[in-house]
Amino acid sequence: MEVAVTGIGLVSPLGNTPAAALAAAIAGRSAVRRLDTPEAARLAAPVAATAVLDGSIAFEPQKLRQLDRIGLFALHAARDALADAGLAPGDVDPQRAGVFFGTGMGGTGAVDDSYRALYGDRTDRVKPFAVLMGMYHAPAAWIGIETGFRGPNLTYSTACASSAVALGEAWRRIASGELDVAIAGGAEAPLTLGPLKAWEALHALAPMDERDPSASCRPFSRNRRGLVLAEGAALLVLERQDRAAARGARSHGRILGFGLSNDATHLTRPSVEGQAAALQAALASAGIAPQAVDAINAHGTGTVANDAAETAAIRLVFGGHAGRLPVSATKAVHGHLLGAAGALECVLSLLAMSGRVLLPTMNLDEPDPACDLDYVAGCAREGVDVRIMLSSSFAFGGCNAVLALGAA
Amino acid sequence: MRNETFERLRDLLARDFSADPSTIRIDTPLDQLGIDSLGVTELLFSLEDLFDIRVPHEAVPLASVGDVVDYIDRLSGKLRLPDAQPAASGEAAVTGPG
Repeated sequence: MEVAVTGIGLVSPLGNTPAAALAAAIAGRSAVRRLDTPEAARLAAPVAATAVLDGSIAFEPQKLRQLDRIGLFALHAARDALADAGLAPGDVDPQRAGVFFGTGMGGTGAVDDSYRALYGDRTDRVKPFAVLMGMYHAPAAWIGIETGFRGPNLTYSTACASSAVALGEAWRRIASGELDVAIAGGAEAPLTLGPLKAWEALHALAPMDERDPSASCRPFSRNRRGLVLAEGAALLVLERQDRAAARGARSHGRILGFGLSNDATHLTRPSVEGQAAALQAALASAGIAPQAVDAINAHGTGTVANDAAETAAIRLVFGGHAGRLPVSATKAVHGHLLGAAGALECVLSLLAMSGRVLLPTMNLDEPDPACDLDYVAGCAREGVDVRIMLSSSFAFGGCNAVLALGAA
Repeated sequence: MRNETFERLRDLLARDFSADPSTIRIDTPLDQLGIDSLGVTELLFSLEDLFDIRVPHEAVPLASVGDVVDYIDRLSGKLRLPDAQPAASGEAAVTGPG
């Protein structure tokens, strides 16, 4: 079965609508900024890409009190995705509709609050919804309740590949004929003190660019120093293309295939062979030759290790075609949404194809001999016919996920 | 005492559960106010702060506003009642496969 993307919902540092996010990505307008929270002074690099969402507008107080920030993001994006898809109740057999969600860190706010109460304030009273807000599956459960989808409702936690895996697994079930419809993607809300300090301790975060905090993430640039954390959600409605066409739904594009691999070597050191295997698996899954790929949305975190390994993996898979293959790293402007990154970058890739544009990699101002591809540095290319893209997500822990995407 | 407890509880219900205070009576069922099992759990947490009481670990059956008023007064020593029986099932306790 062909699988179409008929709905998109976003809560993202680049904006909460597809149009806003695409415009910011095309303009290279970075959402990375200096954090101004009271706790930011405790951070070595008080910089991140935050999302803006007033939950009280969309949710009644009782429900809002049961949602961690990740759940708020996810549910809001899911509502927007469903509205965008225009699915009427009669369009969906609930038993053949599923929810596929990805998060790397779950409800960190609820966990942080509980620790603060117990260890900081030294009370013995943890708020009653700590479990329900902190559990990784909470956002998917809420989406299931709201949609009434009664098929598989699954949460994947494969670190920074989580939402790419969720999308891929949803695609697989629709492509195989098991399901007609799925809402899939992911969310992350890691910008509370505990996770920020934990990431800082890992020495994976970029120091803040004092001159221009918005330029702190520099994918594929020789002066790259690490990733910048971000928050948000991206949910997509996937449908059997024939059914979507029959109901006259607008298509944002298609998912053509999905490749997975596991490094099986090291928790954080990326493997060229592992990443290449996922790229190859995506091509094989979609039944396309390497030369058919028009562009790649790279994992491109801005860490020294990833960007060099990813470049080598692309060269390994695409050979001579790699030199002609535009590679965009949009994390420079929206930061690293961890478990939600793959879904946001899938959305940006689909929108870029629809808009016939190659998205720029910003802040790439020092060429690196180890990163020698065409990264669309500094400026978008418009009016380009882009029909097939790959969107890569390579995670700590070694899980590599690549989505093969087609224009509408 | 019961009246004073009721009035403070009514204000809390109006604030946290968006209930119209004029519709809250002593015999109003909690589910009529949109308070399900999770709502009761949240309500108990708020009662601890508001009335300076500590709610025991065991679940108790609380079906109406009056049940809650009596429970508060009992825990604060203002009312003596027979020991409450643990909830058999349903809305007073969060149940499920966890």
